[in-house]
Amino acid sequence: MIETVDRSARAEDARRRGSTAFLLSPWVQIVVSILLSAAAQIFLRLGVGHRQDEAWAAFHGLFSGWVWAGIIAQIVSLLSWLQALRTIKLLIAFNLSGILHVLVPLAGWLCLGEKIPPMRWLGIILVLAGVFVVASPAARVEEML
Amino acid sequence: MTPAGLGLAMIAALSFITGQICFKFAVNESDESARRTGGFLPIFAGGIAAMTVGFFTWLTLLSKFELSYVFPFEALSRVLLVAGAVLFLKEKMTPKLWIGVVLITGGIIVVSVT
Repeated sequence: MIETVDRSARAEDARRRGSTAFLLSPWVQIVVSILLSAAAQIFLRLGVGHRQDEAWAAFHGLFSGWVWAGIIAQIVSLLSWLQALRTIKLLIAFNLSGILHVLVPLAGWLCLGEKIPPMRWLGIILVLAGVFVVASPAARVEEML
Repeated sequence: MTPAGLGLAMIAALSFITGQICFKFAVNESDESARRTGGFLPIFAGGIAAMTVGFFTWLTLLSKFELSYVFPFEALSRVLLVAGAVLFLKEKMTPKLWIGVVLITGGIIVVSVT
């Protein structure tokens, strides 16, 4: 009985360690970092609202929950970025983060109703293509490290 | 963009790239040639300092020019990062990376001028 409990506890422990290892893996961390950074920009935009022309807009913004959400998202994003940089080359990580220039306009379009002109779609497609080219050797992980 | 604006863009880009290279040095544990030197804290603090300088230069730039006019900053920082990573971190550029860098930089310029 004790043996069984011990074994299942050990299995549970191993599984927990496994999922922690997965969450801390550089590829998961870089995706988290990039998503949080995009979210931070949207949160800050929501916090500042359309009062950008006012001199005190940034000051008022400090009282907005969205601004604080943006700041916290940006800080956690930096921590994930550092975790990813432990093993991923800066060249690879930095170029992958170029996808922010796709995510932010897309999120602005979907969440904030901002318009994307046709030429900007072209730019978005170019960036996406570039990120795919940089990310494609992901199968051969040693090339990325 | 005026020469002064280009100068500010250059300072902002250089600061951000210095910050990124410091961060990589501070946490790096993969590449022999870019092995951690001098401990985590001083290099990490240097990275934060460089990022702060970059941030305020960037704010100055934004207050003086329209957002769509500050695209040289993006192009500059992408080129500088390649140079910095190759020179200081001894990372290797592959043909695939070059294609990726050109596509991403070109795309970002198109996104920011439209």
